[in-house]
Amino acid sequence: MSNEAVLHANIGEAHDVHSNHQTHHHETFITKYVFSQDHKMISKQFLITGMVWAIIGGLFSVLFRLQLGFPDTSFPWLEDILGKWWAEGGHITPQGYYALVTIHGTVLVFFVLTAGLSGTFANFLIPLQVGARDMASPFMNMLSYWFFFIAGIIMLASIFVETGPFSGGWTAYPPLSALGDTSPGSKIGMDLWLISLALFVVSSLLGGLNYIATILNMRTKGMSMTRMPLTVWAMLFTAILGVLSFPVLFSGFILLIFDRNFGTSFYLSDIFIASTNTALPNEGGSAILYQHLFWFLGHPEVYIIMLPAMGMVSEIISVNTRKPIFGYIAMVGSLFAIATLSFLVWAHHMFVTGLNPFLGSIFALLTLLIAIPSSIKVFNWLTTLWRGSIRFSPGMLFALGFVSMFISGGLTGIWMGNATIDIHIHDTYFIIAHFHLVMGVASIFGMFAGVYHWFPKMYGRYMNTTAAYIHFWITLIGAYLIFWPMHYTGLAGMPRRYYDYSIWESFKQFAELNKSISIVVIITFLTQFLFIINFFHSIWRGRKVTSTNPWKSNTLEWTTPINPGHGNWPGEIPEVYRGPYDYGKDGIDFIPQTTPIGAEESGHH
Amino acid sequence: MEYTTTPPSQAQYEAAKKEIIKVTWVLSVLTVIELMLGFWLYKSPEMSEGMRWAVKGVIIILMLAKAFYIVAYFMHLKHELKNFIMTIVLPIISFIWIVFSFLHDGNSYKELRNDYNPHPHTKVQKTTTPAHGVEGKK
Amino acid sequence: MSTVATAQTKWWGGGKSPFNVEYGKVMMWYFLMSDTFTFAGFLLAYGSVRFSANSWPDANEVYNSFPFAPEGTHAPLIFVSIMTFILILSSVTMVLAVQAGHHNNKKAVVRNLILTILGGIAFLSCQAWEWTHLYHEGAWWGRNPFLNVDGTPGAVNFTNFFFTITGFHGFHVFTGVLINIIMLIMTLNNTFEKRGHYLMIEKAGLYWHFVDLVWVFVFTCFYLI
Repeated sequence: MSNEAVLHANIGEAHDVHSNHQTHHHETFITKYVFSQDHKMISKQFLITGMVWAIIGGLFSVLFRLQLGFPDTSFPWLEDILGKWWAEGGHITPQGYYALVTIHGTVLVFFVLTAGLSGTFANFLIPLQVGARDMASPFMNMLSYWFFFIAGIIMLASIFVETGPFSGGWTAYPPLSALGDTSPGSKIGMDLWLISLALFVVSSLLGGLNYIATILNMRTKGMSMTRMPLTVWAMLFTAILGVLSFPVLFSGFILLIFDRNFGTSFYLSDIFIASTNTALPNEGGSAILYQHLFWFLGHPEVYIIMLPAMGMVSEIISVNTRKPIFGYIAMVGSLFAIATLSFLVWAHHMFVTGLNPFLGSIFALLTLLIAIPSSIKVFNWLTTLWRGSIRFSPGMLFALGFVSMFISGGLTGIWMGNATIDIHIHDTYFIIAHFHLVMGVASIFGMFAGVYHWFPKMYGRYMNTTAAYIHFWITLIGAYLIFWPMHYTGLAGMPRRYYDYSIWESFKQFAELNKSISIVVIITFLTQFLFIINFFHSIWRGRKVTSTNPWKSNTLEWTTPINPGHGNWPGEIPEVYRGPYDYGKDGIDFIPQTTPIGAEESGHH
Repeated sequence: MEYTTTPPSQAQYEAAKKEIIKVTWVLSVLTVIELMLGFWLYKSPEMSEGMRWAVKGVIIILMLAKAFYIVAYFMHLKHELKNFIMTIVLPIISFIWIVFSFLHDGNSYKELRNDYNPHPHTKVQKTTTPAHGVEGKK
Repeated sequence: MSTVATAQTKWWGGGKSPFNVEYGKVMMWYFLMSDTFTFAGFLLAYGSVRFSANSWPDANEVYNSFPFAPEGTHAPLIFVSIMTFILILSSVTMVLAVQAGHHNNKKAVVRNLILTILGGIAFLSCQAWEWTHLYHEGAWWGRNPFLNVDGTPGAVNFTNFFFTITGFHGFHVFTGVLINIIMLIMTLNNTFEKRGHYLMIEKAGLYWHFVDLVWVFVFTCFYLI
């Protein structure tokens, strides 16, 4: 069997005429950098677009932290930059504050941690690590990026409309999101928000189908499922989650669009709007229904964000401890268990919404079950580290940071999974602390780990290590300084999404704490520019990679040339004879997957 | 090659066509039974609530049977490898829990709205007529 | 298509499809899975809202007419059963086209594709008539003239869901017809003949059967129970 046959059989199938990687092939700037169908280029497009969005989303958090930390201080330059709508008189306005919070959430969850993370690394790593020339359908892959791009443009446009972007929280609960009269952000801003996310669903679907088909069908000879690196397993489950859960969000959004524009009452019932002094005719709908549909995506979405980071961290930890990952099959099994459970637990976000308490108790039970696979993963990471010869490369540091964040954020998840405790801490800063640590910061750490680790493969150069170390330590300490205190304020009952806590007798006492959090936010945010500068500087000026396998790693991507062309391998695709984690086996430092099993070798799989 | 096929023979073609005709009949008969049950429901307003639920349950089972025939034969899933069948069927199983919780919560929302008492400790005269009159047949 | 399946084959071993199908079919199937969840989202919403309503209109009192029927006709289930059979039959012709494709029988492919397209158009026409009829009776998004079973004013979400979900299904039928027309043109242009296989028709067929499958659920949920 030849991999060429596979490739060309597929190319014929999808009318893709791009892939004459061995013959002379002219590529214009447009086909190489803009409408590229090379998975490596598309992944870089996802990464850089994701970085742009991360800066925007991060900047928004700095702006609303200014309000929370310094509610009484005026920053006249804010009005100069942002205008009256956002920051009249140097104070972030209430409408501006809610818009900032909402767009911060939407952008980071969807554009950065979904598209930016799995878009980048699924695209980059799947074909390279399973031994394929490209994705199953490079054309659909390109469309996936451009749908994401257009979704981003529309979201960006919504920031600049007269009534402001949507400002009802990233979960967009009706009736606030369904009725334009309830808030300025629920006017045209919400329509743009919905259109943008609908396009995003299309993008995610196109990408996800491609990832699944590639992983299943395009593996090179010998690359059985149990020889796949854990990154690829994680991407597979991520893609499955996306393909099956985003459509439910899509139907929820369609119903919301109808409620907004066509007079239906899917989510609306018995409403009186004070601002216009009108009673609405809508009757019979259920706002809880929207939450069911939303969280049916929303919960798997959390794992869509987490799993790629888990996969990359497993790979990076194994490579940098020079030890096989502990419990490969258990790692795959726990990924599967997490993916399965994620479909069954969505309503644990809704314990206090009027959800039936009997259902709530089952949801609590299923939710707590997630602790089992999660702790299997944590213990396996820790056991892999045990007595390893650890190389503290920047990628490894961020991987360790991921594990740390995942533990400290994950433990509080067990609190909230219990419906009774959740009644107290729901919608407080406690939950902000929880999900930012376990999902936000942890996944960002996974993303940084991936970028530092695979940068040499992406651009054929190294990133600056000193800058990376500074970046890591400030980000790690900063993240804990920001979110750790929020556990306390949350337990003290401080609710989320309030505009100004200084006017509340109960929460005045946290003024200094809020101020210090805001200062750390600013410092941590600015530190990220160290990474951005390092990234772009290293693309052109970084130290050149001289060996094809700089990390002495087993997986297939390091068997390609330093700067692989379109098609990845200049000759035949290598065949695979062993699993990806043969480190330190029989006293040999590492044995790449392409090395045949030796006659004298000890047990293998 | 990514996959292998052998060109089907004329006999297989005929057998396949026969199978299609058979499935067409099965689907038609199932549909007719469904319609008859539906008509029965309509023509018997005196039927008890429990009986209505039972008939509707039968209709739903017939619906699932039709779905099975379409997926298994028309969409050819039955003739695929078992590997492939499992990847389709397993996610579908999750619907058992999903359907149950959506419907259960819908029902619970109704009861909440009909019976909700914001002041459980002060004896309030409970209004007996909900917004839409008495509970009708579903 | 007969598949070479022996117990000895290491399906998951790499270098081949574990399902012995080309990637396009894998993608189409998983796309349909995804679409299943879209429709499931709609139907679950419908079920949830219906379970939360105290009363609901009787479908038989609503959908009780058919084209050219005299005024005051009361014939529930008749028209929708015709629509159902149209869709089942078009599904049959589609699967015959797919089978003919496996045998590179161009003539049979063309014939059956044309029949399928006609079936699809017929179904869409029926739907257009039904929507128009209901519209003239005063039903639309946000408006429900039909009383609940218990005599109270009609639950407005009855029509809301009806138009939204049958509309979404109708949109799928419409795209299915477009896809089939493209398939027909490609067949007539000998595109598949040159390629040596008609696998693309198989994928179009999967989509078309899925549309039929969804109708099985929509039909049951809206007209029967």
